[in-house]
Amino acid sequence: MITAERKPIEDLIQSVSPYRRILLVGCNECVTVCSAGGRKEVALLSSALQMHFMKEAKPFEIKEITLERQCDPEYIEELVPIIDQADAVLSMACGCGVQEIARRFKEKPVLPAVNTTFMGASERQGVWAERCAGCGDCVLGVTGGVCPIARCSKQLLNGPCGGSTRGKCEVDPDIDCAWQLIWDRLKALGMTERYEENIPAKDWRTGRGGGPRKIVREDLA
Amino acid sequence: MSFQKRLLSGEFVVLAEMNTPKGVDTSQLIQNARRIKGRVDAVIVPDMDDGVMKMSALGGAVLMHQQGMEALIHVYCRDRNRMALQGDLLAAYALGVQSLIVVSGEDICNGDHRDARAVDDLDELGLLRALGLLEQGTDLGGSDLQGAPSFTVGCVIPQCKDEQSLDCALELAGKKVEAGAKFVLTPPVFDIGRFESFMDKAKSLKIPVISTVYLLKSVGAARYIATNEPEAGISEELIRRIRKASDREMECVRIAAETVASLKLLSQGVRIVTLGWEHRLPDVLDYAGL
Repeated sequence: MITAERKPIEDLIQSVSPYRRILLVGCNECVTVCSAGGRKEVALLSSALQMHFMKEAKPFEIKEITLERQCDPEYIEELVPIIDQADAVLSMACGCGVQEIARRFKEKPVLPAVNTTFMGASERQGVWAERCAGCGDCVLGVTGGVCPIARCSKQLLNGPCGGSTRGKCEVDPDIDCAWQLIWDRLKALGMTERYEENIPAKDWRTGRGGGPRKIVREDLA
Repeated sequence: MSFQKRLLSGEFVVLAEMNTPKGVDTSQLIQNARRIKGRVDAVIVPDMDDGVMKMSALGGAVLMHQQGMEALIHVYCRDRNRMALQGDLLAAYALGVQSLIVVSGEDICNGDHRDARAVDDLDELGLLRALGLLEQGTDLGGSDLQGAPSFTVGCVIPQCKDEQSLDCALELAGKKVEAGAKFVLTPPVFDIGRFESFMDKAKSLKIPVISTVYLLKSVGAARYIATNEPEAGISEELIRRIRKASDREMECVRIAAETVASLKLLSQGVRIVTLGWEHRLPDVLDYAGL
């Protein structure tokens, strides 16, 4: 899933302060799972903003809504009946959702309420970690199901650097060395010969090297 | 007199572009440079900003200095992060480079290493600000330098499709001037009338404008630019002139030289770009009376 973290409340107060009527829009997908921008977070942020502006004795109205998905045009249409009641939209979705609302409602300012961070997985309750860099040419089949692009600090493709110590990365001892994980996994699978495979210099055209990407499925389009 | 001094004293400057080789055989580069030594104020050594891997501009500039010629180099952000840029800028100054041109790099997908990954850690404005900091004696990390460089920095205005995009480009150029650019290079000029209109707007930048002249090389080259970049202003008449000439190459040289001569009255300098035909530079200079 796409993970995100809510921006500091001071930043959000500053970004909405030029407006009197705010439409606060949550998303029921990834940001709900990572507790950054779902229905619950919408309610909490709404209360925090109302309390702030009430304390400041500044007129402020906020309307809450949480869409099934903000990255899908059909759900964005649900905003049509209420969009004119707001001076600006504060979106709690990832950057995709913010941009979809901005694309649909060209005259309406759309502000991000969260910082979109990475594609990751939940390691345990309340902890998410980066797992995929979306490079467009997956090597997980060769690296035992552990991604060196997303999980090695140096994005090394052919084994660890000299900074791997007791399975940890030199960048931060809280980060697992991706190549230690790869080695351990290949050993467990009895596939250590894969480690000997030389992965050539990566073709980044499938990643961001080729500019903004698009998938066109002619069978569906 | 150095390029910097001529520019500051308001004298017309003549710059010629010299491309580095794709390889280590520098004989042709040096031979072509020697042919124009004393006839141009400085050479410009582009880097790999056209997307084609070749010897770095810094290497080319050092080779030019060894020939007793001043060299300006292109700097851009596509291939280096802020650390590599700053390190190379310090090296460039220590090796005698006094003037730089901040350019934007061609997209990787239009070059000859299409599988490479662009860096783009800074943008052109960010690089200009970094240069300003280096000149004040600190790096982008906030540390003091042991000796600060002092460059004359230029920027470029790209070919613009219409008046609206030209206005945007000029606005951006204005920001570059605020960030430290001391001169600006124009897109290639093929139509003096259009250039006069361009200059009316570019004057607002209040820095020296150095115009650019391309040596077209052939009917095909002229036709290609006319078709793909109609805003460049290559007319059918110009293409016909090359096509009808008994010596088309020489006609292209004459056209470039005539453009250079005309621009002497309209801009503070000229950059002659021969697109790989550096050996024809002496002819262009001869016909232009330089």
